Amino acid sequence: MTRWERSVPVYGIPVLTRGFWGLCLFIAFGLVLTGYREVVGLGASVSGMSDPYAWGLWKTFNVMVLTGLGSGGFAVGIAAWVFNNKKLHSVMRVALLTSALAYWTGLAMLGVDVGRPWNFYWVIMPWQWNVSSPLLEIAVCMSLYASVPLLLENLPPIFEYIIYEFPKWRGVAETCEKLMAKVYPFIIGLAYILPMMHQSSLGALMVLGGKRVNVLWQTPCLPIIYVWAAAFLGYNCVTLCLLLAKLAWKRDLDPVVMAELNKITVYLIYAWTAFRFLDILVRGQILHVFTDGYFSFLFWVETALILGSAYVLSTEKGKKLSTMFNANLLCAVGGMIYRFSPTTLAFSAKGSSFYFPAMAEIIVCVTFIAIAVLGYLVAVKLLAILPGTNADWNKMAKYEEKVKPGIQLTGYAPADH
Amino acid sequence: MAMTRREAFKNLAKGTLPILAAGCVSAVLPQVAHAEEEERLEANPKYHKTDPAKALGLLYDATRCVGCKSCMVACSQYNELTPDTRQDGLHQAPPALNSYTKNIIKLWRSEDGSDHSYFKQQCMHCIDPGCMNACMFGGLQKDEATGVVWWLGSKCVGCRYCEIACPFHIPSFQWDGFNPKIVKCELCRTPMAKDPTKKQPGCTKVCPTNAVIYGTRPELLKEAKKRIADNPGKYYQSKVFGEHEAGGTQVLYLSRVAFDKIGLPDVGEESIPSGLKYSHMAYKWLALPIALYAGMVYFAGKNFKDHSHHLAEEQKETGLRAQL
Amino acid sequence: MAKDANAQDTIAQSLKNAGYSRRDFLQLCTTLVATAPMGLALTEKATPAEVAKAVGKAKKPSVVWLHFQDCTGCSETLLRTSKPDVADLIINLISLDYHETLMVACGQQAEDALNSAVKDNEGKFVLVVEGSIPRKDQGIYMKLGGKPAVDVLKEVGSKAAAIIAIGSCASWGGVPSADPNPTDAVGVDSIITNKPIVNIPGCPPNPYTLLGVVLEFAVFGKLPACDDLKRPKFAYDRVIHDHCPRRAHFDAGRFAETFGSPSHREGWCLFKLGCKGPVTHAGCSTRHFNEIPDCWPIGNGSPCFGCTEKSIAFRVPLFDRVDAHGFTATPPDTYAPINSSIGKFGAGAALLVGLAGGAIGGASWAASQKLASSEETIADEAKSNPGGK
Repeated sequence: MTRWERSVPVYGIPVLTRGFWGLCLFIAFGLVLTGYREVVGLGASVSGMSDPYAWGLWKTFNVMVLTGLGSGGFAVGIAAWVFNNKKLHSVMRVALLTSALAYWTGLAMLGVDVGRPWNFYWVIMPWQWNVSSPLLEIAVCMSLYASVPLLLENLPPIFEYIIYEFPKWRGVAETCEKLMAKVYPFIIGLAYILPMMHQSSLGALMVLGGKRVNVLWQTPCLPIIYVWAAAFLGYNCVTLCLLLAKLAWKRDLDPVVMAELNKITVYLIYAWTAFRFLDILVRGQILHVFTDGYFSFLFWVETALILGSAYVLSTEKGKKLSTMFNANLLCAVGGMIYRFSPTTLAFSAKGSSFYFPAMAEIIVCVTFIAIAVLGYLVAVKLLAILPGTNADWNKMAKYEEKVKPGIQLTGYAPADH
Repeated sequence: MAMTRREAFKNLAKGTLPILAAGCVSAVLPQVAHAEEEERLEANPKYHKTDPAKALGLLYDATRCVGCKSCMVACSQYNELTPDTRQDGLHQAPPALNSYTKNIIKLWRSEDGSDHSYFKQQCMHCIDPGCMNACMFGGLQKDEATGVVWWLGSKCVGCRYCEIACPFHIPSFQWDGFNPKIVKCELCRTPMAKDPTKKQPGCTKVCPTNAVIYGTRPELLKEAKKRIADNPGKYYQSKVFGEHEAGGTQVLYLSRVAFDKIGLPDVGEESIPSGLKYSHMAYKWLALPIALYAGMVYFAGKNFKDHSHHLAEEQKETGLRAQL
Repeated sequence: MAKDANAQDTIAQSLKNAGYSRRDFLQLCTTLVATAPMGLALTEKATPAEVAKAVGKAKKPSVVWLHFQDCTGCSETLLRTSKPDVADLIINLISLDYHETLMVACGQQAEDALNSAVKDNEGKFVLVVEGSIPRKDQGIYMKLGGKPAVDVLKEVGSKAAAIIAIGSCASWGGVPSADPNPTDAVGVDSIITNKPIVNIPGCPPNPYTLLGVVLEFAVFGKLPACDDLKRPKFAYDRVIHDHCPRRAHFDAGRFAETFGSPSHREGWCLFKLGCKGPVTHAGCSTRHFNEIPDCWPIGNGSPCFGCTEKSIAFRVPLFDRVDAHGFTATPPDTYAPINSSIGKFGAGAALLVGLAGGAIGGASWAASQKLASSEETIADEAKSNPGGK
């Protein structure tokens, strides 16, 4: 039985594949469209947004939904480091990488979506903040999170890369790593509290939407439900990445860790669903669950996808890899729909106005997702991210030593302190 | 190898230069922002609620409105806006409030066409505005003296959260162009400041039937209540819309037809920002986050120590460099 | 007026004898059609030629015209037609048998003329009344040949086939009935109640309205459809506001502020200057006076004062604005609706979303199939290597 012991890069496959160039081409095109949007504004030529639906795809999907998906960093991290779940240490790097890519591309997308980005510099002046604004909390927290703890947490693989590939800089890298290790708890503490704060503030955002958000979603507890959904979405994402790694690069799976991930996912979802129903009951809106037409339907789609998948995962069938894959995928889709509802799917502006994204809007949205995917593909090949065994590492070391003579990946002796 | 003096100075410069630059920028930019402000009026960075007794506002009596739309024309003229003729290329006929239109007359007709009423829509100038509460850096502010809610371009990021937060769907964004503004009624704050002979907003000045009038909120409330008392049964539910709605607004409405029919949503009597009171409680003095942080650092620290030992042992055993 | 030897001629014959050209007759009929395209049986869905045929066949109606408390303005309005001119009108189109202003006779001759006109055409003539009738103190405030006007009206009216009250005075009292109405001036229908009456209010009304009513009576023998105030619908079924040429300015909020101001010179809406157009029923918006386009109060930059309406003319001050309450005009559909419907559904965008969704769905399905084919489960792995680390 495979037990994961360390992270091992994907080797034997070049970075610059056809897929890589294809993605680059698409991204280049998307960036040109982004430039176009910067010049012409946010109007009908580039987006389907209008005054009744002032938030379109970019803010709500790339930022709110995808950072939910990219919450593995804090969700898995809290289980691994605060609750001392040793089994999850080996998957931390995947979780951190997905978080970093989701957040960085999400924030870049945010920069494209706002109409007057040159005024964002006020974020570094606390005396100018409007502290009662949920969006401020998000702006400050997300920026801080993405630029400090998330970045720092993702540095160790890069240090390692430098140590192995650039012996000249080994000293500097090792010093940095040592420094980080000294303050690591403080960094990761920040890396957990900040996402909890802003993921919940993402929920608080829509509280101000008032009656425009359908009653099945609108609740003062929206912050809690939102951050909780981010948690299980993070687990879904990590599980899917691991399964896809097995598929794409034939990486072996550690059944104990996978079972652990599934277990936590299932518990999170059961608790989440129970809380959500309780919230609806307490607010007296339980009838709407059946009588609200399109909104009831949407609610049941979410619940079925999420709860159904959780149930499947908790059974014996859920141990089958294909079932695990499907269940996690459908659960992620359900979770993403949930996060997308209060802002868009269950958001009714007055009258018969509606929102549908424009072509350019969709392409730019996918472009930033493609950038994250590209980053992921490059990172897992260059850096040690995906989990593997020590035997895998030795195999990799042999291969690399053949290909890059002079590199030393085994037989490590710590440098003198 | 010890650092030479030259290297030391170089490093120092490298380190302090960015900080100096940031310092200069943050000192200069606000000045630039102030200078940029079109009106040389003082920005009030304090986000407070104006004294409702002194706040200025409007009273619109839908039973007096004849739908002549003079107010729309006057608004465009006072505020130097281009009339929105995009519907047919000829007439000023915007379908809704937008970046060209700060004030609009809408028409409600009954299903069978036998009844109709006009509705003048513009910013309600709430006493505790949702839009102002939502804006991150104070791009929307309430004038201390008059309570007028106005937009400050130098602070606005263009995130459009104010549009989500306003229950009356008022702020309009300039969707086209790379320097978009948020456009909404400001009770002619700028035109009246520029031209002291203008003593009231354009709409109230030109209204031929005095359907919309200008004054302090207490005066307008008194007038509205007087009209209700003098004409029992004429006004819908004998109520002044805005007296308590959304925590009280400075623009008040009287109507013969139900308010929700003519376009005033059922917003309840709580102000919009009060919906966030639980969130604000959780963040009071940042006590909860700090406590959670401390807790997590403690436990993570303990576990990290164990983990580091374990990693060091493994490293000795396998000869493979430990991964942080 | 001397009795015409050919009084029993048809109108066509009479006009021909008088040398009235066919072209001029057609022009008159065209004007009639333009005046009353709807609501008048004579002109409804008819071409001028058809109208000419119908009118030509009719016998000239005998008309007796009585003046009471009037200013003669309604007679004056009749003179302001050119085709036909007043002579052709009163001699060849109708047979005007008694009219104090236009007839040559006076004194006893006039009395005789009236008596013989009434006697000879008893039960067949149309009585046109101009001016209000005073009732106070047994009607002594206006006498005709020593007889109170009330009595004259009752006498002559009882012998008429139909009565047309021309002008606001005859319709409801007009100027003499303004506060305090010292003579108790009233309109015809307050005195005569047993004869068909048509009111043609206005100060003065348009002459073609009268002509339309009279010719309709001559051709069909009955009066046109009227509203509950006895006003012919074809002329009084709309308010000035509905057809006003300046309506576009009202709708766009362009108002004349004061007389002589630039906005007034632009010809903008006169609502703010007190125009009563929105509450006044009359056809003046489309039928102007003196056969000259724009020759009517609003066209001349003077607000309408509601001369046809009893509750407005000579009661509501000239420059007082109309209360919205009284607005009966139907608003046009050019206003913004209460709820907007903004949003575009791009076919291309929908296609993209469909493609993206399809691509992801397809790839996921393929992935899960591949995983399924490996038939691995984590339970298997755990079972197969129970001793694993």
